[in-house]
Amino acid sequence: MKEQDPVVFVIDDDRMIREGLQSLIRSVGLRVETFASAQEFLGAKRPDAPACLVLDVRMPELSGLDLQLKLRDGGIPIPIIFITGHGDIPMSVRAMKEGAYEFLTKPVRGQDLLDAVQKAIASDRALRKGRQEVDEIRGRFESLTPRENEVLDLIVAGLLNKQIADQLGMSELTVKTHRAHVMEKTHADSLAHLVRMAEKLKASTRK
Amino acid sequence: MQVSTAATVQRALFRYGLAIGLVSLALLASLALQDSIGNPFWFFFSAAVILSTWLGGTGPGWLAVICSTLAVMYYFTPPLRSFAVTPRELPYFVTFVACEIMVTQLISWRRRTEDSLRQARDELEVRVAERTAELKNANDAVVRQMAEQRRTEETLQATRAELARAARITTIGELTASIAHEVNQPLAAVVANADACVAWLSREKPDLAEARSAAERATQGATRASEVIARIRSLITKATPEKSHVQINRVIEETAALAEGQAARNHVVIKLELSPDLPIVFGDSIQLQQVILNLVVNGIEAMTTVTDRPKMLTLRTQPENKGQIRVSVEDSGVGLTEEVMRRLFEPFFTTRAQGMGMGLSISRSIIEAHGGRLWAESNGTGGGATFQFTLPSEDRPAA
Repeated sequence: MKEQDPVVFVIDDDRMIREGLQSLIRSVGLRVETFASAQEFLGAKRPDAPACLVLDVRMPELSGLDLQLKLRDGGIPIPIIFITGHGDIPMSVRAMKEGAYEFLTKPVRGQDLLDAVQKAIASDRALRKGRQEVDEIRGRFESLTPRENEVLDLIVAGLLNKQIADQLGMSELTVKTHRAHVMEKTHADSLAHLVRMAEKLKASTRK
Repeated sequence: MQVSTAATVQRALFRYGLAIGLVSLALLASLALQDSIGNPFWFFFSAAVILSTWLGGTGPGWLAVICSTLAVMYYFTPPLRSFAVTPRELPYFVTFVACEIMVTQLISWRRRTEDSLRQARDELEVRVAERTAELKNANDAVVRQMAEQRRTEETLQATRAELARAARITTIGELTASIAHEVNQPLAAVVANADACVAWLSREKPDLAEARSAAERATQGATRASEVIARIRSLITKATPEKSHVQINRVIEETAALAEGQAARNHVVIKLELSPDLPIVFGDSIQLQQVILNLVVNGIEAMTTVTDRPKMLTLRTQPENKGQIRVSVEDSGVGLTEEVMRRLFEPFFTTRAQGMGMGLSISRSIIEAHGGRLWAESNGTGGGATFQFTLPSEDRPAA
């Protein structure tokens, strides 16, 4: 599957700043989409691509911090680079606590912003890759029958075929058959691979 | 107590002794003079009784009467050298005794009267002294209270001054924050666009079109920053206003002319109701014009959304009592909600997207610096709002 080009969203109520940032980010060859308000951004259709958000803290109506909470609550994970006119400490602490990627003060130095944008996109790309992988694994694991699932749990727990057969009340041969199906359906190269995938899946559902 | 009792006894003894002494003197004198003057005892004994009663009181008086009677009985009524009295001498003797008794009674009555008078006078003096002391106490209390009140007033004054200073500092702080934001915003745009311009030029194949438009935006940003600064300077940097005699009606006419264009664009009619006999005021005409212009522009903007009634802005002047004039700017706009009314004069408070929120705050400080007052009222059912201010006026009429 070919990944789409990364995109940078710029949200600022000041047209001149918005256009400056857009031009700056475009100059290094990145795709930029601009919005004059947080509502406009929420209403827009977002492409399925690695992305990051360059966000003005101080905006009328929905502020940058409000948007951050809305995105988090809506399960939209996207790294946010905050830009603020007055870098007051409580506000930046709050933003960082809620998982802001970076906090820059106006006027922002172009190179600082570009560095932050590149890093944020790289981070989002890695996160997306991780999420995609987990989604794939989940898809494969969901194709297992209930019986195969039972066998899987015991294999991952480190039991031998004989022990699994005893515990589930079936013959060792049947266990071997189920095991082969599990390995095949989950595309596992080895027992170690299978265990790793099961762990990843568990970790993602725990989150 | 003991001492005073002893003193009383001593004085009684002295008084009675005096009576006996006086009677003895009278006796000696009578005996000595009886051969040369006829019956001298009448005079001497009467004198002894009078003096004893007068100086010693009733008791010594009676003692003097008794002693005199005995002495007269013994020495001067036949048979001489005997306490007996011959019947022939009896009326004469009785007359003497009766006279003596009468004298002593009269004198002692007189004395008692004088004593009670003296006592009454003493009591009166004591009472007067008491009342005087009471009055003095009351007076002291009043003086103390006045001193305390003065101290309280001084404290109050100091607190008020402190509060005013704190409010001024807060206002300056808010003002600074707002100015910082207003200036920083276009500067951020300048930096972003200049950086973009450089980035476009630094590409392997420089993109001149992109670089140019970024540079143009940077210029616009810088222009906007300088405009903000010019706006702020024109509004507040005049630390020392240049005061002169101002005819407020003329200032209003000029201001109305200035606002004519904006009013026409917004289909607003400006009406002037200027009092012809308005006294002149002493102030900075440019600052006052700024205040009036600010109120006029606010009024026009408050009426932009009005469609159901005539858009009318009325500028009115009138003389007030106590050497003041009043200027009011009445619009028929959307009016003021309670919330807006409450925060109207706060720095940085605005109901407009493009507003800086400084106009009314600065206007108020200008009017207050002129010794006047600026406030806002809702027009009630007619809709709209009226902004008014007062200014202290000179005595002379404007003409």
